[in-house]
Amino acid sequence: MIELQNVTKSYHLKGVHKTILDDLSFTFPQSRNVAIMGQNGAGKSTLMRLIAGVEYPDSGRIYRATSVSWPLGFAGGFNGSMTGLENARFVARIYNQDTEAVIDYVKGFAELGHSLNLPIKTYSSGMKARLAFGISMAIDFRVYLIDEITAVGDEQFKIKSQQVFSEKLKNSQIIMISHSETAIRSYCDCGLLLAPDGVYYYDDVNTLIADYKMLA
Amino acid sequence: MSTMSARQLLGLQARVIAALVLRETRAAFGTSQFGYLWAIVAPAAGVGLLVFIFSLVDRQPPFGASLALFFATGVLTLEFFTKLSNALMTAFDANKALLTYPLIKETDALFARLILIAATYALIMVLFYSALTILGLADPPAYPERLLQAFGATAFFGFGFGTINAVAISLFGSWIHIEKVLTRPLFFLSGIFYIPSLLPPEVIAVLKWNPILHLVEWMRTGYYPNYESTVINHAYPIGLAVLLTLLGLTGERVFRKKRV
Repeated sequence: MIELQNVTKSYHLKGVHKTILDDLSFTFPQSRNVAIMGQNGAGKSTLMRLIAGVEYPDSGRIYRATSVSWPLGFAGGFNGSMTGLENARFVARIYNQDTEAVIDYVKGFAELGHSLNLPIKTYSSGMKARLAFGISMAIDFRVYLIDEITAVGDEQFKIKSQQVFSEKLKNSQIIMISHSETAIRSYCDCGLLLAPDGVYYYDDVNTLIADYKMLA
Repeated sequence: MSTMSARQLLGLQARVIAALVLRETRAAFGTSQFGYLWAIVAPAAGVGLLVFIFSLVDRQPPFGASLALFFATGVLTLEFFTKLSNALMTAFDANKALLTYPLIKETDALFARLILIAATYALIMVLFYSALTILGLADPPAYPERLLQAFGATAFFGFGFGTINAVAISLFGSWIHIEKVLTRPLFFLSGIFYIPSLLPPEVIAVLKWNPILHLVEWMRTGYYPNYESTVINHAYPIGLAVLLTLLGLTGERVFRKKRV
């Protein structure tokens, strides 16, 4: 279960003050896949980072009584001078996984071939995303946090990730940020909209998408 | 799932720090196997060069029979402190990417760097002193337990100093330049190439405020069988280390939200 209680989050940077969440209380429905939509800068990624626990609210509490992945995005926590394999091993170690099992999975899934032995700084953003996606899929989380990372790679890779993903979703749920209507429709069944005047919950994605379009 | 027990939390902490130590080792010493070797050879070569320069000026060691040993007890102590505090100072910034993973907290990066650098310098010192002993330039340490204490005290002080500087830099980026200016004279103020006890009282009155001087003296009273120090105060560097560590870790906690 993931629950936000009276969460307020704002930024002060160079004299600019921006409130992203104002006294938000929300319990994420269990065993449902939740979309997070909103315009650029509305605070979707910040909300996700708060849920993951990598950023802290100004006030309020966030309860996570379940295993939650790190926010899966393009800017992964990779060390550029380390190889793909070394980065995979590092993540496996901190999550107490069998490192070799994770590596075998990543090798099979990410299709990076010999590039896995090269430093991450030589990777394209698509390759990094595939690696991040592969590592996270190798670990069993109850909740996967996905920040705009579904549509990477060619058609074949997309189909493959969808298969793996559907398999995972039998036992896990996702919270997903996306601007893509297709992605939201194929993975999510409810959602949050971060509108300029507040955060709204939608029990079905059609109304969510319709209202999201009204914002633009 | 319920909240984690203290034992599970400790296990998690140990696992994360162990993974970070491996990662830091890799990042600090590069891809080649020679990277780590170089990290050990460089300070040794530095001491060697110093010995060479000073032996050109004056062949007489300030204390004992070996110039190399006298410098080594000073230089290696100061270098251990400097490397440690510099590594901790930049730990927050260098590990920003790591904060993608919720399991890793910034203090883990501090502990990981402490372990890595302390292990490296322990190895450097063992190798260096063994080499001097084998070459007949020094005797084995007279009081190994005091050497260990001095090493621990240096690690503790370096940790406190580095942590508080890391917090200061995260709040005020230019602090890194000021810190460099403040610590630069340490080489001259820490008794590396002279015996502090033999200095005039008015000089001692000023120098004794330098905690590194006490740590160097501590090392020497541990290595030499008869090194008499009238200056040394063990409680001073330890007390400062306690204070800086408490302030540093409190600062980290208080300003954590601001730093992200």
